[in-house]
Amino acid sequence: MNDLQFRVLYREFLFRMVDLELLSPQGDITKLLGQFAAILIWISSGLFLGAIFFDARRIPPNKLMTVLWSQEHFLIATTMLVVGLFAVLSWESTFLNRRDVMVLAPLPIRTRTMFLAKVASVATALSLTVASLHTLAGVAWPVLVFSPANSGVLGMIRSLAAYWVTMLAAGAFIFCCVLGVQGLAAQLPRRLFLRLSAVLQIAAFCLVVSVYFLQPSLATPQALSAAKNQHALAWLPSYWFLGLFQALNGSMHPAMAPLARRAFAGLIVAVFGAGAAFLLSYFRTLRKIVEEPDIVPGVRGVNWLPRFGNALETAVVQFSIRTLLRSRQHRVILAFYLGIGFALVSLLWKNPGPRQQADIPLIVASVVMMTAWVVGTRVVFAMPLDLRANWMFRVTSVHPAPQYLAAIRRPLFVLSVGPVWLASAAVFLWAWPWRPAVGHLVVLGLWGTILAFVSLHGFHKIPFSCSYLPGKSKVNLMFVAAGGLLQAIGLGISYELRALRDPASYARLVAVLSVAAVFCWWRTVALAKAEESVVLFEEEESPAILGLGLFRDGALPMEPAAAPNPPT
Amino acid sequence: MLELRNVTKRFPGTIAVDNVSFSARRGEITGYLGPNGSGKSTTMKMITGLMEMSSGEILFDGVPIQRDLLAYKRRMGYVPEEPYLYAHLSGLEYLTMVGQLRGLPAKPAANCINGLLRLFSLHGDRHSPISNYSKGMRQKVLLSAALLHNPDLILLDEPFSGLDVGTALVLRSLIQELAARGKVVLFSSHELETVERVSSRVVILHRGKIVADDSIERLRTLMALPTLEDIFSQLAVEQDTAGISREIADLIGA
Repeated sequence: MNDLQFRVLYREFLFRMVDLELLSPQGDITKLLGQFAAILIWISSGLFLGAIFFDARRIPPNKLMTVLWSQEHFLIATTMLVVGLFAVLSWESTFLNRRDVMVLAPLPIRTRTMFLAKVASVATALSLTVASLHTLAGVAWPVLVFSPANSGVLGMIRSLAAYWVTMLAAGAFIFCCVLGVQGLAAQLPRRLFLRLSAVLQIAAFCLVVSVYFLQPSLATPQALSAAKNQHALAWLPSYWFLGLFQALNGSMHPAMAPLARRAFAGLIVAVFGAGAAFLLSYFRTLRKIVEEPDIVPGVRGVNWLPRFGNALETAVVQFSIRTLLRSRQHRVILAFYLGIGFALVSLLWKNPGPRQQADIPLIVASVVMMTAWVVGTRVVFAMPLDLRANWMFRVTSVHPAPQYLAAIRRPLFVLSVGPVWLASAAVFLWAWPWRPAVGHLVVLGLWGTILAFVSLHGFHKIPFSCSYLPGKSKVNLMFVAAGGLLQAIGLGISYELRALRDPASYARLVAVLSVAAVFCWWRTVALAKAEESVVLFEEEESPAILGLGLFRDGALPMEPAAAPNPPT
Repeated sequence: MLELRNVTKRFPGTIAVDNVSFSARRGEITGYLGPNGSGKSTTMKMITGLMEMSSGEILFDGVPIQRDLLAYKRRMGYVPEEPYLYAHLSGLEYLTMVGQLRGLPAKPAANCINGLLRLFSLHGDRHSPISNYSKGMRQKVLLSAALLHNPDLILLDEPFSGLDVGTALVLRSLIQELAARGKVVLFSSHELETVERVSSRVVILHRGKIVADDSIERLRTLMALPTLEDIFSQLAVEQDTAGISREIADLIGA
């Protein structure tokens, strides 16, 4: 293997975990990756604070072990969730893409070198993900909380090592499982693999999120030993790795022994299984990438879509629908949001609470899925597909900007508010008497409209055609906003439940929502009709003052200037 | 008439187009020539409105294009140098979208699209995604998109790139036919033989500046050179081509 080739390819593959096509010309890939790392470190800080304020003395001794196990299990499960999401989102970059093959195949590079560089880059990214998530928490928890009592410095060191080995092993296990599924699917004909990939990605995503939120709490000696739980434990890997941690930490309870063995066996099977499937599919895929197109041809007539207003609106909506249906990357990001909504709904179905009624989960499901769908669709609209092709929108921009901005609003309603509302209508009219069903559907429609207009406020871009600039979104504020939104949804639903039984309250609710919807509509439209409004194709406009580019190859022009040419 | 007056485009550290002035008239085919990096595509992008000028003015029919850019774009058709297209759409879907974006009436646009697809031999592949198209097929899609709305100004940046001989001959005749019907045609190409056959006049750009702007006939007479290739070599090619070829062959040890 050529070391230089390996290093060059390794670096190239590592920085291409994120699609550079998304970035604005002013965008910076290191900044984007840094932002991802910052999110993980931010989560890690929260976990770290949990360890700092953990006071074992305030917990009754008979409950201490259960609390510690629950915390250990939470950290392991969170690691598996984050790595699982990473594996699903980096699905596209696991294999070389068509451009890689076209560029690299004619060069004198061994396939083995490309393969190893790819594996090394993926392993590095995986390790960095786990390391970022546990930057601070990975020291605080094992040293301050998990090390066995009176075990001294050696006990702390052992606990620290056990913690990191367990987290990396849990991450490797979940990553290899996803990779193994991908490797097995890649044995199919390439076109079928590409079709199946989208389904598998979304299925894997939903599985990872659902398991995280829905898995039962079994971190007690009684639950782990109970015969009725053994079947569930056999299918819950996060508990296997809890057993592994206990084994490595030297604090193993007898109930953990079979789990630790299962973790060890599962890890070996996952690593070797994924390795074999990946290896087999890799060389096969390299050939197929060149021979077969990435996008499967459409079938005549199947791609027909109706009109959605005037010609411009129809063009923008049809383009948005086709792009969302055909771009795996965008579908996966939308699935991410739907998965979060699905997980929240699942959580509620699992724990309906003593005072809640049978109707509440249905109402919550419709409202949460509406919210997740609208927000997710709005997010994917901002991510471009083939930026270089957006010149066509610029050249054909023969209408005033407000007409474009009106057309831009329509896809969000067609792709998110409309489908969720129609699906909810079908379910509610089937499950409920017509009067409360219609009552809720009116509220749901107004809620969807408000959300859509709020999310479109200041969004002056044709979907999928404007560049993306990393570092713009304030992730910490997004978490706060999401928490506030969930709280508002909870309060709104309790009020709606009461209002559905009281016409006066219902009228007040509908009036307030209608006023809010009209206000949001008016504000968004007024902003779009403003004289200075333009359709954006670059997230960041060219600066009014241009730099002179006096820096060449990273060096200041400090050398003595060359002798000037003699005047002619 | 398309008119450029003292058009300049500066990028950080470089001037891509330097004080360029020329005009392209109705019924005329103006060839826009220059070596790689001379500023041809930058000029084209400024004429289309894709790129802003640093200074100067571009007028179409006596009106600065920036005064009513939308009205100007309605009358302009453009084939870019690079065939960037939304590859997940089929040829038919792409052209339909372009027609809708231009606000063309649905039925006549559909008829026109079908006709163009048939005449460019793309009809059989109209439902295939553009990602499956060859370079020549993509070029035909771009040409169809540029002509769909019967533009008054046709800007062609390397329009012959990737076309097979038959289609290139069709395009050559088409350009002449469109000019004969009163369109303003400005096209850039590296195929000097084609430019010589098609163009009534040429503008030659070198390092961002115009070095020649006249009819080919007058340039031949003035410079006492027999072909456009000779004229171009004298004005815009600084290198000793034979010498460089020898050096390259020597360098690789051929």
